[in-house]
Amino acid sequence: MAPGVKDSLRAVTPSQSNQVSNEGDVIKVFIRVRPPTEGPILNNGEHPGMCLSVLTSNTLRLHSKPEPKIFTFDHVADMDATQESVFSSVAKGIVESCMNGYNGTIFAYGQTGSGKTFTMMGPSESDNFTHNLRGVIPRSFEYLFFLIDREKEKAGAGKTFLCKCSFIEIYNEQIFDLLDSASTGLLLREHIKKGVCVVGAVEQVVTSAAEAYQVLSGGWRNRRVAATSMNRESSRSHAVFTITVESMEKNNDVVNIRSSQLNLVDLAGSERQKDTHTEGLRLKEAGNINRSLSCLGQVITALVDVGNGKQRHVCYRDSKLTFLLRDSLGGNAKTAIIANVHPGSKCFGETLSTLNFAQRAKLIKNKAVVNEDMQGNV
Amino acid sequence: MATPAAWAAACEKFRASLSLSQVQSQKDPENDPYKSKYRARELLQEVKALLGPAADEDEDEEAGGGDGGGPGAEEGPAAERAGPGARAGAGAGAEPSARAVRLAAVELQLGLNHIDTEELAAGEEHLQNCLRLVCRSRLEPAAVSLHLQAQNNLGILWSERDEIETAQTYLESAEALYNQYMKEIGNPPLDPNEHFLPEEEKLTEQERSRRFEKAYTHTLYYLAQVYQHLEMIEKAAQYCHTTLKRQLEYSGYHPVEWAINAATLSQYYINKQCFMESRHCLSAASVIFTQAEQTPSTEDTETEQEQQDLRQRRAEIARCWIKYCLNLLQNAQASLEDNIGELDLDKQSELKAQRKREEDEKENGRKKVVLFGTSDVCDAILAIEEKVACVPPLDFGEAREVFLVGQNYVCEAKEYFQVDGYITDHIEIVQDHSSLFKVLAFFEEDYERRCKMHKRRIAMLEPLTVDLNPQYYLLITRQLQFELAHTYYEMMDLKVAIANRLEELDSHTVKKINSLAQSAIKYYELFLDSLRDPNKVFPEQLSEDVLRPALVAKFHIARLYGKLITCDGRKELDNMQASLEYYMFLVDYCERYPEAVRAVETELELSREMAGLLPAKMERLRAKLSPFT
Repeated sequence: MAPGVKDSLRAVTPSQSNQVSNEGDVIKVFIRVRPPTEGPILNNGEHPGMCLSVLTSNTLRLHSKPEPKIFTFDHVADMDATQESVFSSVAKGIVESCMNGYNGTIFAYGQTGSGKTFTMMGPSESDNFTHNLRGVIPRSFEYLFFLIDREKEKAGAGKTFLCKCSFIEIYNEQIFDLLDSASTGLLLREHIKKGVCVVGAVEQVVTSAAEAYQVLSGGWRNRRVAATSMNRESSRSHAVFTITVESMEKNNDVVNIRSSQLNLVDLAGSERQKDTHTEGLRLKEAGNINRSLSCLGQVITALVDVGNGKQRHVCYRDSKLTFLLRDSLGGNAKTAIIANVHPGSKCFGETLSTLNFAQRAKLIKNKAVVNEDMQGNV
Repeated sequence: MATPAAWAAACEKFRASLSLSQVQSQKDPENDPYKSKYRARELLQEVKALLGPAADEDEDEEAGGGDGGGPGAEEGPAAERAGPGARAGAGAGAEPSARAVRLAAVELQLGLNHIDTEELAAGEEHLQNCLRLVCRSRLEPAAVSLHLQAQNNLGILWSERDEIETAQTYLESAEALYNQYMKEIGNPPLDPNEHFLPEEEKLTEQERSRRFEKAYTHTLYYLAQVYQHLEMIEKAAQYCHTTLKRQLEYSGYHPVEWAINAATLSQYYINKQCFMESRHCLSAASVIFTQAEQTPSTEDTETEQEQQDLRQRRAEIARCWIKYCLNLLQNAQASLEDNIGELDLDKQSELKAQRKREEDEKENGRKKVVLFGTSDVCDAILAIEEKVACVPPLDFGEAREVFLVGQNYVCEAKEYFQVDGYITDHIEIVQDHSSLFKVLAFFEEDYERRCKMHKRRIAMLEPLTVDLNPQYYLLITRQLQFELAHTYYEMMDLKVAIANRLEELDSHTVKKINSLAQSAIKYYELFLDSLRDPNKVFPEQLSEDVLRPALVAKFHIARLYGKLITCDGRKELDNMQASLEYYMFLVDYCERYPEAVRAVETELELSREMAGLLPAKMERLRAKLSPFT
């Protein structure tokens, strides 16, 4: 994880004031419950084969034994929620602030089969994104270009926009460009002006939602092809679609350039994997004993993390994903996490861990903390 | 008993099963991941059948007690067995029957197999069977390894069920078994899989010992994790340390990995202010890392990636060293400063006397630390340790020594973490460098020279802010702005102190003071501007994480306007007005949001006082000025 994230996590002390936190400080966490694939749904509120029930629009109850557990989130979408309603409660605000110059990120998290791809993309069969089951990513395109067109109309010829897309995949701590299937092993570097960037990733200019769809579906196809030809599961890779929006405004010879990034991320499945320490976010910690002695470092790192604000350096840190999304996890960005869960009682264990993850994610303060060290020199 | 032919078949099957589950299973297809494991399991069952039924002579009576099932029942007996009962067993020389041992070895493999294929309950049963079969003879060289490994694996199993306490019982019991065996018996025991090897393939004593010690190292490593999960952090660290030590002793380590682990552990000791242990870890890390650099990789041509990784790891270890030096210095500063942050001479002489007293006892303290390595490695570690102190420095000379070591590591770390490509890391290193200077300045008594040190800090930090894009590096940008502002502020204070000693203020000094104050104001304002939203509006309410820095910035700006020197009455009045406005911001803000008071108590008190005094002062000045206007 990025160093800033842990620091920010530490900065979160139980708030003693009852003030409402500033809009956008905290990562917004949404839960989406997918409908089960089979079995009857009873309408009496209690589902016999279900491990959870939605109580209100921001709470749900997990039928754990002996005591049921209540979780509270920014929003809980029940299984009848439409794609449109998920988009407007999660993504709309983030796309809007992207127009205002903020960076924005939307993650989908959850075990394989909990509906991440459905939420982000829509049903897999069709490549046209016109039907109303299309997911957050295509809807974000539409909304973004709608806003751009509106801005242009308002500002006239004085204001121009430039949108560039890139689409990469992270598998086994290696980065692949989905827009250029010939590429291998791309490097992550930090650029003084552009932040973290993937060296050599293709950036495709798009001028409309339709063009953005093409980039998306082309890349998505590469992802699926890769999944079969190299004999690897797609759910073990993270896919990151990035749109950079640049606006240029001319006001009497003064040129005002604004640039922001929107990252749309389909994370790898969160369930236990053969090799948990390279996959997934480090936020999710395995409660079990690691058998491999070569993971000793992780244990030691956990000990160092307990540090009390003393200066220290921990040699194991970023995974590629957390490095790439540094800003989204505790930087200068608006971030939302959609935690997808499957309500079936068979999925109880994974659902619980997803909910626990989501609960922790809420604690991440999405703003930079200033190290203010001054002792007694008022 | 089985016939020789049956026995040969059993051995063959057992070895085939091992190869299936350890080698073949790596290549199983994704859609049938346990294919080889299931096949191995079948073979093991066949071996078991060939060995004949389990019920054996006097095995049954023991089984009655041990078979209580469940973890609760196990806790009692497990602990008891390690106690007096065990000694009786060893004393009586309970030589295990070969068959019992062989069966136990099969049960252990079956247990592992079921656990690998996610059938925990069945796996547990087999492991318990294994324990039961060798229970009475667990201190025998033929059985001790089986017992130890079964307990290790039961520990893992229960941790997977999130029953950490139960896991802890098994692992601690394994630890006790090892210690008892080494104390009472001590010769290298048989390896669990050796029972199915023909005589001529039996392992050497050395190999037996190596495997047994490795299993025990695993026990300690699992215990480290158990203690970490139980939040017994100190114990966990101790077990990590011992694990590292044993890896080194039994050459079961990868040098780079080991070095990085040791360097990371040093950071734990820094947090605990155990500088001696921290230094030992770091020195060992440096020594072992050098081994890695010297041994060429197995392939003839090392890939560029590997070279790159090595360079990065070296830089990482250097960064751990920087933190060590920095913390040692800061720790010293904290123990030496008076209530306004200056060097307290009384404390200094007191601590120096104390250190003299302690020097004689130092040798004793030294022995408590678990030391890494054997003679030659030990000497190399010692040589590195000697280059830097592990007791906090007490005067400028000593502080400078530590500073110089830290500065060397800064250079080393920067070689890899260059601005181009590693912005965040690079800036963090420069910030540490600046902090090293800052704490060194604390020990410097000459104000002019102290000022020069701060000037060095500004020279290294200021260029970084020029191109940095705050949209991506907001946190760092703010930190730099704040640190720069504060450094200018300190320099101004120093110049004022120097000026106070002079008879008369010369124009050069006045200019210097004013320009430092202006620079400080500039960076505080930049920091405050970074809090504005994209429409340049300052937030009505400050969020918790920036509350104190923002209010402190306002307060310092208020003071800085008060310090600006001018002989133009109008200008002085303007400065006072600005100062008053900033003080008032603090007072008003805390009135609106009383919960902010906690963060800035002292500053608020002073601001209230100034807000009361300034208007009268300004009135007087105005009156003085009016005749001229």
